[in-house]
Amino acid sequence: MCTKVVLENIGGRTINFFAAIYEAWQLVIDTLKALPHIWFYRRQVTEQIYVFLVKTLPIATVISVFVGLGAMIQGTYQSSALIPRTYVINVIFKSTILELCPIILSLVLAGKLGASLAAELGSMKISEQVEALETMSLDPVGFLIMPRILAGMIMLPIITIFANFLAMFSVFFIASVATDWISPKEFLSGMQMNYRAFEFYFGNLIKPAVNGFFIAVAGSYFGMKTHGGALGVGRAATNAVVVAAILIVFFDYYLARILL
Amino acid sequence: MIEVRQLTKKFNEKPVLKAVDLDILDNETLVILGPSGQGKTVFIKSLVRLVEPDSGIIKYDGVDVLSLPKRKLVDVKKKIAFVFQDNALFDFLNVKENLALYLRMHSKLSEEEIDNEVRRALEFVRLNEEVFDKYPEELSGGMMKRVAIARAMIQQPCYMFYDEPTTGLDEANVEMVVELIHKFKKNVCATAVIVTHDIHLMSAVSDRVVLLKEGRIVFVGKKEEVSEESLHDLYGTGVKDEL
Repeated sequence: MCTKVVLENIGGRTINFFAAIYEAWQLVIDTLKALPHIWFYRRQVTEQIYVFLVKTLPIATVISVFVGLGAMIQGTYQSSALIPRTYVINVIFKSTILELCPIILSLVLAGKLGASLAAELGSMKISEQVEALETMSLDPVGFLIMPRILAGMIMLPIITIFANFLAMFSVFFIASVATDWISPKEFLSGMQMNYRAFEFYFGNLIKPAVNGFFIAVAGSYFGMKTHGGALGVGRAATNAVVVAAILIVFFDYYLARILL
Repeated sequence: MIEVRQLTKKFNEKPVLKAVDLDILDNETLVILGPSGQGKTVFIKSLVRLVEPDSGIIKYDGVDVLSLPKRKLVDVKKKIAFVFQDNALFDFLNVKENLALYLRMHSKLSEEEIDNEVRRALEFVRLNEEVFDKYPEELSGGMMKRVAIARAMIQQPCYMFYDEPTTGLDEANVEMVVELIHKFKKNVCATAVIVTHDIHLMSAVSDRVVLLKEGRIVFVGKKEEVSEESLHDLYGTGVKDEL
Protein backbone atom coordinates (compact mmCIF):
# COMPACT_ATOMS: atom_id res chain seq x y z
CA MET A 1 0.00 0.00 0.00
CA CYS A 2 2.75 2.39 1.07
CA THR A 3 4.90 1.48 -1.97
CA LYS A 4 1.92 2.10 -4.25
CA VAL A 5 1.39 5.57 -2.80
CA VAL A 6 5.10 6.39 -3.13
CA LEU A 7 5.18 5.17 -6.74
CA GLU A 8 2.01 7.09 -7.57
CA ASN A 9 3.55 10.17 -6.02
CA ILE A 10 6.75 9.77 -8.03
CA GLY A 11 4.75 9.09 -11.20
CA GLY A 12 2.56 12.14 -10.65
CA ARG A 13 5.55 14.40 -10.04
CA THR A 14 7.34 13.07 -13.12
CA ILE A 15 4.31 13.73 -15.29
CA ASN A 16 3.94 17.23 -13.82
CA PHE A 17 7.64 17.90 -14.42
CA PHE A 18 7.45 17.00 -18.12
CA ALA A 19 4.11 18.79 -18.50
CA ALA A 20 5.73 21.94 -17.04
CA ILE A 21 8.65 21.66 -19.48
CA TYR A 22 6.21 21.31 -22.35
CA GLU A 23 4.16 24.31 -21.18
CA ALA A 24 7.26 26.48 -20.70
CA TRP A 25 8.42 25.47 -24.18
CA GLN A 26 4.99 26.39 -25.53
CA LEU A 27 5.32 29.78 -23.85
CA VAL A 28 8.65 30.32 -25.61
CA ILE A 29 7.08 29.33 -28.96
CA ASP A 30 4.18 31.75 -28.34
CA THR A 31 6.71 34.45 -27.52
CA LEU A 32 8.53 33.79 -30.80
CA LYS A 33 5.17 34.00 -32.61
CA ALA A 34 4.54 37.36 -30.94
CA LEU A 35 7.95 38.71 -32.05
CA PRO A 36 6.78 39.85 -35.51
CA HIS A 37 4.30 42.13 -33.67
CA ILE A 38 7.09 43.84 -31.75
CA TRP A 39 6.24 47.23 -33.29
CA PHE A 40 2.67 46.89 -32.02
CA TYR A 41 3.98 46.24 -28.50
CA ARG A 42 6.92 48.70 -28.74
CA ARG A 43 5.68 50.77 -25.82
CA GLN A 44 5.66 47.71 -23.52
CA VAL A 45 9.13 46.63 -24.69
CA THR A 46 10.57 50.09 -24.00
CA GLU A 47 8.88 50.20 -20.59
CA GLN A 48 10.27 46.81 -19.61
CA ILE A 49 13.79 47.72 -20.75
CA TYR A 50 13.57 50.83 -18.57
CA VAL A 51 12.17 48.84 -15.62
CA PHE A 52 14.96 46.25 -15.91
CA LEU A 53 17.56 49.01 -15.98
CA VAL A 54 16.18 50.90 -13.00
CA LYS A 55 15.65 47.77 -10.94
CA THR A 56 19.07 46.29 -11.60
CA LEU A 57 21.54 49.13 -11.82
CA PRO A 58 21.97 49.91 -8.08
CA ILE A 59 22.30 46.26 -7.07
CA ALA A 60 24.64 45.54 -10.02
CA THR A 61 26.87 48.42 -8.92
CA VAL A 62 27.23 47.16 -5.36
CA ILE A 63 27.74 43.55 -6.41
CA SER A 64 30.31 44.25 -9.11
CA VAL A 65 32.45 46.48 -6.92
CA PHE A 66 32.63 43.86 -4.18
CA VAL A 67 33.07 40.96 -6.61
CA GLY A 68 36.09 42.81 -8.00
CA LEU A 69 37.50 43.51 -4.56
CA GLY A 70 36.90 39.92 -3.42
CA ALA A 71 38.60 38.55 -6.53
CA MET A 72 41.55 40.86 -5.95
CA ILE A 73 42.00 39.75 -2.33
CA GLN A 74 41.67 36.07 -3.23
CA GLY A 75 43.96 36.38 -6.25
CA THR A 76 46.76 38.02 -4.32
CA TYR A 77 46.31 35.77 -1.29
CA GLN A 78 46.35 32.51 -3.27
CA SER A 79 49.29 33.40 -5.53
CA SER A 80 52.86 32.89 -4.39
CA ALA A 81 55.51 35.56 -4.64
CA LEU A 82 57.13 33.60 -7.50
CA ILE A 83 54.19 34.27 -9.85
CA PRO A 84 54.54 37.54 -11.76
CA ARG A 85 51.84 40.02 -10.75
CA THR A 86 50.76 40.56 -14.35
CA TYR A 87 49.79 36.85 -14.38
CA VAL A 88 47.76 37.28 -11.21
CA ILE A 89 45.92 40.23 -12.74
CA ASN A 90 45.30 38.14 -15.84
CA VAL A 91 43.73 35.36 -13.76
CA ILE A 92 41.62 37.87 -11.81
CA PHE A 93 40.51 39.58 -15.03
CA LYS A 94 39.50 36.39 -16.81
CA SER A 95 37.83 34.75 -13.85
CA THR A 96 35.89 37.94 -13.15
CA ILE A 97 34.56 38.65 -16.64
CA LEU A 98 34.05 35.02 -17.64
CA GLU A 99 32.61 33.58 -14.47
CA LEU A 100 32.35 35.57 -11.28
CA CYS A 101 30.55 38.70 -12.38
CA PRO A 102 28.13 37.11 -14.89
CA ILE A 103 27.04 34.27 -12.63
CA ILE A 104 26.85 36.13 -9.31
CA LEU A 105 24.99 38.98 -10.96
CA SER A 106 22.64 36.59 -12.75
CA LEU A 107 21.89 34.66 -9.57
CA VAL A 108 21.15 37.82 -7.62
CA LEU A 109 18.99 39.17 -10.43
CA ALA A 110 17.20 35.82 -10.65
CA GLY A 111 16.15 36.50 -7.06
CA LYS A 112 15.24 40.12 -7.62
CA LEU A 113 13.78 40.16 -11.13
CA GLY A 114 12.53 36.57 -11.32
CA ALA A 115 10.55 36.91 -8.09
CA SER A 116 9.12 40.32 -8.92
CA LEU A 117 8.22 39.19 -12.43
CA ALA A 118 6.41 36.09 -11.18
CA ALA A 119 4.64 38.01 -8.41
CA GLU A 120 3.62 40.80 -10.80
CA LEU A 121 2.21 38.45 -13.44
CA GLY A 122 0.76 36.16 -10.77
CA SER A 123 -1.25 38.90 -9.13
CA MET A 124 -2.41 40.07 -12.57
CA LYS A 125 -3.52 36.52 -13.29
CA ILE A 126 -5.53 36.05 -10.11
CA SER A 127 -7.15 39.49 -10.35
CA GLU A 128 -8.38 38.73 -13.91
CA GLN A 129 -6.19 41.44 -15.47
CA VAL A 130 -4.74 38.92 -17.91
CA GLU A 131 -8.28 37.99 -18.98
CA ALA A 132 -9.10 41.70 -19.29
CA LEU A 133 -6.28 42.00 -21.82
CA GLU A 134 -7.80 39.18 -23.84
CA THR A 135 -11.21 40.86 -23.90
CA MET A 136 -9.47 43.96 -25.23
CA SER A 137 -8.13 41.90 -28.16
CA LEU A 138 -4.60 42.06 -26.77
CA ASP A 139 -2.41 38.99 -26.68
CA PRO A 140 -1.17 38.50 -23.07
CA VAL A 141 2.00 36.85 -24.38
CA GLY A 142 2.72 39.74 -26.73
CA PHE A 143 1.73 42.40 -24.20
CA LEU A 144 3.23 40.97 -21.02
CA ILE A 145 5.73 38.21 -21.71
CA MET A 146 7.52 39.00 -24.96
CA PRO A 147 8.57 42.48 -23.71
CA ARG A 148 9.88 41.01 -20.45
CA ILE A 149 11.87 38.24 -22.17
CA LEU A 150 13.31 40.70 -24.68
CA ALA A 151 14.16 43.15 -21.91
CA GLY A 152 15.89 40.36 -19.97
CA MET A 153 17.92 39.27 -22.99
CA ILE A 154 18.90 42.81 -23.93
CA MET A 155 19.48 44.34 -20.52
CA LEU A 156 21.38 41.57 -18.75
CA PRO A 157 24.32 41.76 -21.21
CA ILE A 158 24.37 45.57 -20.94
CA ILE A 159 24.32 45.42 -17.15
CA THR A 160 26.96 42.70 -17.14
CA ILE A 161 29.27 44.82 -19.31
CA PHE A 162 28.77 47.67 -16.87
CA ALA A 163 29.34 45.33 -13.89
CA ASN A 164 32.49 43.79 -15.40
CA PHE A 165 33.89 47.21 -16.09
CA LEU A 166 33.14 48.34 -12.56
CA ALA A 167 34.59 45.15 -11.04
CA MET A 168 37.85 45.54 -12.94
CA PHE A 169 37.97 49.22 -12.12
CA SER A 170 37.69 48.42 -8.42
CA VAL A 171 40.50 45.86 -8.79
CA PHE A 172 42.59 48.49 -10.56
CA PHE A 173 41.81 51.07 -7.91
CA ILE A 174 42.93 48.82 -5.05
CA ALA A 175 45.89 47.24 -6.86
CA SER A 176 47.33 50.28 -8.61
CA VAL A 177 45.97 53.45 -7.06
CA ALA A 178 45.39 52.71 -3.38
CA THR A 179 48.20 50.24 -2.69
CA ASP A 180 50.77 50.37 -5.51
CA TRP A 181 50.71 46.58 -5.57
CA ILE A 182 51.12 46.75 -9.37
CA SER A 183 51.81 49.64 -11.71
CA PRO A 184 49.00 50.75 -14.06
CA LYS A 185 51.11 49.73 -17.06
CA GLU A 186 51.64 46.20 -15.72
CA PHE A 187 47.96 46.03 -14.77
CA LEU A 188 46.99 46.82 -18.37
CA SER A 189 49.46 44.34 -19.83
CA GLY A 190 48.12 41.69 -17.42
CA MET A 191 44.62 42.26 -18.76
CA GLN A 192 45.81 42.13 -22.38
CA MET A 193 47.81 38.94 -21.88
CA ASN A 194 46.44 36.04 -23.93
CA TYR A 195 43.38 38.15 -24.74
CA ARG A 196 40.75 36.54 -26.96
CA ALA A 197 37.86 38.60 -28.25
CA PHE A 198 35.50 35.65 -28.04
CA GLU A 199 35.98 35.48 -24.27
CA PHE A 200 34.72 39.03 -24.06
CA TYR A 201 31.62 38.16 -26.10
CA PHE A 202 31.09 34.98 -24.10
CA GLY A 203 31.27 36.58 -20.65
CA ASN A 204 29.58 39.85 -21.50
CA LEU A 205 27.02 38.98 -24.14
CA ILE A 206 26.26 35.28 -24.67
CA LYS A 207 26.12 34.10 -21.08
CA PRO A 208 24.16 37.07 -19.68
CA ALA A 209 21.69 36.94 -22.59
CA VAL A 210 21.03 33.25 -21.91
CA ASN A 211 20.70 33.94 -18.17
CA GLY A 212 18.35 36.88 -18.84
CA PHE A 213 16.26 34.58 -21.00
CA PHE A 214 16.01 31.97 -18.22
CA ILE A 215 15.14 34.56 -15.56
CA ALA A 216 12.38 36.09 -17.70
CA VAL A 217 10.98 32.75 -18.91
CA ALA A 218 10.90 31.22 -15.41
CA GLY A 219 9.29 34.36 -13.94
CA SER A 220 6.74 34.58 -16.75
CA TYR A 221 5.90 30.90 -16.75
CA PHE A 222 5.31 30.62 -13.01
CA GLY A 223 3.54 33.98 -12.96
CA MET A 224 1.09 32.94 -15.66
CA LYS A 225 0.49 29.59 -13.94
CA THR A 226 -0.43 31.24 -10.64
CA HIS A 227 -3.60 30.19 -8.90
CA GLY A 228 -4.83 30.20 -5.34
CA GLY A 229 -4.58 33.81 -4.14
CA ALA A 230 -1.71 35.33 -2.17
CA LEU A 231 -0.33 31.90 -1.30
CA GLY A 232 -0.18 31.07 -5.01
CA VAL A 233 1.66 34.31 -5.78
CA GLY A 234 4.26 33.53 -3.10
CA ARG A 235 4.67 30.00 -4.45
CA ALA A 236 5.07 31.30 -8.01
CA ALA A 237 7.76 33.78 -6.94
CA THR A 238 9.70 31.12 -5.03
CA ASN A 239 9.49 28.60 -7.87
CA ALA A 240 10.61 31.21 -10.40
CA VAL A 241 13.74 32.03 -8.39
CA VAL A 242 14.66 28.40 -7.70
CA VAL A 243 14.15 27.23 -11.29
CA ALA A 244 15.95 30.24 -12.79
CA ALA A 245 18.91 29.72 -10.42
CA ILE A 246 19.15 26.02 -11.29
CA LEU A 247 18.99 26.75 -15.02
CA ILE A 248 21.65 29.45 -14.69
CA VAL A 249 24.22 27.23 -12.94
CA PHE A 250 23.38 24.24 -15.15
CA PHE A 251 23.88 26.13 -18.39
CA ASP A 252 26.85 28.02 -16.97
CA TYR A 253 28.72 24.74 -17.04
CA TYR A 254 27.37 23.50 -20.38
CA LEU A 255 27.83 26.79 -22.23
CA ALA A 256 31.46 26.92 -21.07
CA ARG A 257 32.03 23.33 -22.16
CA ILE A 258 30.47 23.86 -25.55
CA LEU A 259 31.69 27.33 -26.44
CA LEU A 260 35.11 27.75 -24.80
CA MET B 1 -27.30 37.63 -32.26
CA ILE B 2 -25.40 35.08 -30.23
CA GLU B 3 -26.38 31.43 -30.65
CA VAL B 4 -25.20 28.85 -28.13
CA ARG B 5 -25.67 25.17 -28.85
CA GLN B 6 -24.86 22.15 -26.69
CA LEU B 7 -22.19 23.98 -24.75
CA THR B 8 -20.42 21.76 -22.24
CA LYS B 9 -17.53 22.29 -19.87
CA LYS B 10 -15.96 20.08 -17.24
CA PHE B 11 -13.37 20.92 -14.59
CA ASN B 12 -11.51 17.84 -13.28
CA GLU B 13 -14.24 15.55 -14.61
CA LYS B 14 -16.88 17.61 -12.80
CA PRO B 15 -19.43 18.92 -15.31
CA VAL B 16 -20.02 22.65 -14.88
CA LEU B 17 -21.99 23.33 -18.06
CA LYS B 18 -24.28 20.59 -19.36
CA ALA B 19 -25.34 20.97 -23.01
CA VAL B 20 -26.47 24.57 -22.72
CA ASP B 21 -28.64 25.91 -25.57
CA LEU B 22 -29.46 29.61 -25.69
CA ASP B 23 -30.14 32.43 -28.15
CA ILE B 24 -29.16 35.95 -27.12
CA LEU B 25 -31.13 38.32 -29.28
CA ASP B 26 -29.92 41.65 -30.63
CA ASN B 27 -30.81 44.69 -28.53
CA GLU B 28 -31.87 42.70 -25.50
CA THR B 29 -30.53 42.69 -21.97
CA LEU B 30 -30.34 39.11 -20.88
CA VAL B 31 -29.81 38.40 -17.22
CA ILE B 32 -28.45 35.04 -16.14
CA LEU B 33 -29.51 34.51 -12.56
CA GLY B 34 -28.68 31.93 -9.96
CA PRO B 35 -26.81 31.43 -6.70
CA SER B 36 -23.07 30.70 -6.58
CA GLY B 37 -21.74 27.49 -8.07
CA GLN B 38 -24.34 27.04 -10.83
CA GLY B 39 -21.90 27.75 -13.70
CA LYS B 40 -22.94 31.35 -14.47
CA THR B 41 -19.44 32.83 -14.63
CA VAL B 42 -18.06 29.83 -16.53
CA PHE B 43 -20.90 30.27 -19.02
CA ILE B 44 -20.37 33.99 -19.59
CA LYS B 45 -16.58 33.50 -19.82
CA SER B 46 -17.11 30.67 -22.30
CA LEU B 47 -19.15 33.05 -24.46
CA VAL B 48 -16.09 35.28 -24.88
CA ARG B 49 -13.62 32.37 -24.93
CA LEU B 50 -11.91 33.28 -21.70
CA VAL B 51 -12.79 29.72 -20.77
CA GLU B 52 -12.43 27.13 -23.51
CA PRO B 53 -15.56 24.94 -23.61
CA ASP B 54 -15.12 21.19 -24.12
CA SER B 55 -17.71 21.06 -26.88
CA GLY B 56 -20.56 22.99 -28.44
CA ILE B 57 -21.12 25.90 -30.77
CA ILE B 58 -21.07 29.64 -30.08
CA LYS B 59 -22.01 31.83 -33.02
CA TYR B 60 -21.76 35.62 -33.15
CA ASP B 61 -23.87 36.87 -36.08
CA GLY B 62 -23.51 33.43 -37.66
CA VAL B 63 -19.73 33.08 -37.12
CA ASP B 64 -18.72 30.10 -34.98
CA VAL B 65 -16.08 31.51 -32.64
CA LEU B 66 -15.04 28.14 -31.23
CA SER B 67 -13.75 26.96 -34.60
CA LEU B 68 -11.99 30.26 -35.36
CA PRO B 69 -8.20 30.38 -35.02
CA LYS B 70 -6.98 32.89 -32.43
CA ARG B 71 -5.77 35.29 -35.13
CA LYS B 72 -9.25 35.61 -36.61
CA LEU B 73 -10.90 35.69 -33.20
CA VAL B 74 -9.48 39.19 -32.72
CA ASP B 75 -12.08 40.64 -35.12
CA VAL B 76 -14.92 39.10 -33.11
CA LYS B 77 -13.36 40.14 -29.79
CA LYS B 78 -13.25 43.75 -30.93
CA LYS B 79 -17.07 43.65 -30.86
CA ILE B 80 -17.04 42.56 -27.23
CA ALA B 81 -16.51 44.35 -23.92
CA PHE B 82 -16.46 42.67 -20.53
CA VAL B 83 -16.88 44.16 -17.08
CA PHE B 84 -15.34 41.81 -14.55
CA GLN B 85 -16.65 41.10 -11.08
CA ASP B 86 -13.52 42.62 -9.49
CA ASN B 87 -13.18 45.17 -12.32
CA ALA B 88 -9.75 43.88 -13.45
CA LEU B 89 -8.35 47.38 -13.88
CA PHE B 90 -4.64 47.28 -14.68
CA ASP B 91 -3.03 48.16 -11.38
CA PHE B 92 0.23 49.29 -13.03
CA LEU B 93 -1.62 51.96 -15.01
CA ASN B 94 -3.46 55.03 -13.76
CA VAL B 95 -7.10 55.67 -14.69
CA LYS B 96 -6.26 57.64 -17.79
CA GLU B 97 -3.83 55.01 -19.06
CA ASN B 98 -6.29 52.22 -18.24
CA LEU B 99 -8.84 53.87 -20.49
CA ALA B 100 -6.38 54.98 -23.15
CA LEU B 101 -4.74 51.56 -23.53
CA TYR B 102 -7.33 50.15 -25.95
CA LEU B 103 -7.21 53.22 -28.17
CA ARG B 104 -3.41 53.33 -28.13
CA MET B 105 -3.21 49.71 -29.21
CA HIS B 106 -6.07 49.57 -31.69
CA SER B 107 -6.58 53.03 -33.14
CA LYS B 108 -4.55 55.63 -34.96
CA LEU B 109 -5.85 58.50 -32.84
CA SER B 110 -3.45 61.20 -31.75
CA GLU B 111 -2.67 61.65 -28.04
CA GLU B 112 -4.98 64.66 -27.97
CA GLU B 113 -7.85 62.71 -29.51
CA ILE B 114 -7.25 59.84 -27.10
CA ASP B 115 -7.31 62.32 -24.25
CA ASN B 116 -10.67 63.63 -25.44
CA GLU B 117 -12.10 60.12 -25.74
CA VAL B 118 -10.96 59.30 -22.21
CA ARG B 119 -12.56 62.48 -20.86
CA ARG B 120 -15.79 61.65 -22.71
CA ALA B 121 -15.85 58.13 -21.25
CA LEU B 122 -15.23 59.43 -17.73
CA GLU B 123 -17.98 62.01 -18.11
CA PHE B 124 -20.26 59.22 -19.26
CA VAL B 125 -19.78 57.41 -15.96
CA ARG B 126 -19.91 60.71 -14.04
CA LEU B 127 -16.30 60.86 -12.98
CA ASN B 128 -14.29 64.03 -13.26
CA GLU B 129 -10.68 64.74 -14.13
CA GLU B 130 -9.59 64.35 -10.53
CA VAL B 131 -9.36 60.61 -11.02
CA PHE B 132 -7.21 60.93 -14.17
CA ASP B 133 -3.89 60.31 -12.46
CA LYS B 134 -5.13 58.02 -9.73
CA TYR B 135 -4.22 54.35 -9.64
CA PRO B 136 -6.94 51.72 -9.12
CA GLU B 137 -5.83 51.11 -5.52
CA GLU B 138 -6.65 54.75 -4.73
CA LEU B 139 -10.27 54.43 -5.90
CA SER B 140 -13.35 53.29 -3.99
CA GLY B 141 -15.27 50.18 -5.11
CA GLY B 142 -17.97 52.27 -6.82
CA MET B 143 -15.41 54.40 -8.64
CA MET B 144 -13.53 51.34 -9.82
CA LYS B 145 -16.75 49.91 -11.22
CA ARG B 146 -17.41 53.15 -13.05
CA VAL B 147 -13.89 53.19 -14.51
CA ALA B 148 -14.39 49.57 -15.61
CA ILE B 149 -17.61 50.56 -17.39
CA ALA B 150 -15.87 53.59 -18.92
CA ARG B 151 -13.10 51.29 -20.19
CA ALA B 152 -15.75 49.11 -21.80
CA MET B 153 -17.36 52.18 -23.35
CA ILE B 154 -14.05 53.19 -24.96
CA GLN B 155 -14.15 49.90 -26.87
CA GLN B 156 -17.52 50.80 -28.47
CA PRO B 157 -18.66 47.17 -28.34
CA CYS B 158 -21.59 45.48 -30.06
CA TYR B 159 -21.96 43.00 -27.20
CA MET B 160 -21.56 43.89 -23.56
CA PHE B 161 -20.92 41.35 -20.81
CA TYR B 162 -21.17 42.07 -17.09
CA ASP B 163 -20.03 39.54 -14.51
CA GLU B 164 -21.73 40.23 -11.15
CA PRO B 165 -21.65 44.02 -11.62
CA THR B 166 -23.22 44.86 -8.25
CA THR B 167 -21.34 42.43 -6.00
CA GLY B 168 -19.67 44.14 -3.07
CA LEU B 169 -21.28 47.54 -3.74
CA ASP B 170 -23.45 49.51 -1.35
CA GLU B 171 -27.03 50.47 -2.23
CA ALA B 172 -26.14 53.86 -3.70
CA ASN B 173 -23.51 52.32 -5.98
CA VAL B 174 -25.89 49.52 -7.00
CA GLU B 175 -28.35 52.20 -8.15
CA MET B 176 -25.53 53.93 -9.99
CA VAL B 177 -24.59 50.67 -11.78
CA VAL B 178 -28.24 50.10 -12.73
CA GLU B 179 -28.40 53.61 -14.16
CA LEU B 180 -25.14 53.12 -16.08
CA ILE B 181 -26.33 49.82 -17.54
CA HIS B 182 -29.45 51.61 -18.86
CA LYS B 183 -27.38 54.50 -20.16
CA PHE B 184 -24.91 52.13 -21.81
CA LYS B 185 -27.76 50.28 -23.51
CA LYS B 186 -29.27 53.51 -24.79
CA ASN B 187 -26.07 55.22 -25.96
CA VAL B 188 -23.39 52.63 -26.66
CA CYS B 189 -24.40 49.00 -26.98
CA ALA B 190 -27.92 47.63 -26.88
CA THR B 191 -27.09 43.95 -26.43
CA ALA B 192 -25.97 42.95 -22.97
CA VAL B 193 -25.51 39.75 -21.02
CA ILE B 194 -25.44 40.13 -17.25
CA VAL B 195 -24.56 37.41 -14.78
CA THR B 196 -25.81 38.11 -11.29
CA HIS B 197 -27.37 36.72 -8.16
CA ASP B 198 -28.97 40.10 -7.42
CA ILE B 199 -32.75 39.93 -7.94
CA HIS B 200 -33.03 43.69 -7.67
CA LEU B 201 -30.60 44.15 -10.56
CA MET B 202 -32.43 41.50 -12.58
CA SER B 203 -35.78 43.22 -12.17
CA ALA B 204 -34.28 46.66 -12.87
CA VAL B 205 -32.48 45.93 -16.14
CA SER B 206 -33.51 42.64 -17.74
CA ASP B 207 -35.55 42.08 -20.88
CA ARG B 208 -35.26 38.31 -20.47
CA VAL B 209 -34.09 36.11 -17.64
CA VAL B 210 -32.26 32.79 -17.73
CA LEU B 211 -32.02 30.62 -14.63
CA LEU B 212 -29.06 28.26 -14.40
CA LYS B 213 -29.06 25.33 -12.05
CA GLU B 214 -26.11 22.96 -11.79
CA GLY B 215 -24.92 23.86 -15.29
CA ARG B 216 -28.30 23.52 -17.00
CA ILE B 217 -30.73 26.17 -18.14
CA VAL B 218 -33.94 25.52 -16.24
CA PHE B 219 -35.86 28.64 -17.20
CA VAL B 220 -35.90 31.24 -19.94
CA GLY B 221 -38.57 33.91 -19.84
CA LYS B 222 -39.77 37.33 -18.75
CA LYS B 223 -38.69 38.83 -15.45
CA GLU B 224 -42.31 39.06 -14.37
CA GLU B 225 -42.39 35.27 -14.29
CA VAL B 226 -39.53 35.16 -11.78
CA SER B 227 -40.37 35.75 -8.14
CA GLU B 228 -38.40 35.26 -4.94
CA GLU B 229 -40.69 32.35 -4.04
CA SER B 230 -40.13 30.59 -7.36
CA LEU B 231 -36.39 31.04 -6.97
CA HIS B 232 -36.44 29.60 -3.48
CA ASP B 233 -38.54 26.70 -4.72
CA LEU B 234 -36.00 26.08 -7.47
CA TYR B 235 -32.76 26.48 -5.55
CA GLY B 236 -33.97 25.55 -2.07
CA THR B 237 -34.27 27.63 1.05
CA GLY B 238 -30.52 27.45 1.63
CA VAL B 239 -29.92 30.14 -0.96
CA LYS B 240 -32.46 32.54 0.50
CA ASP B 241 -29.80 34.95 1.73
CA GLU B 242 -27.77 34.75 -1.44
CA LEU B 243 -30.50 35.74 -3.89
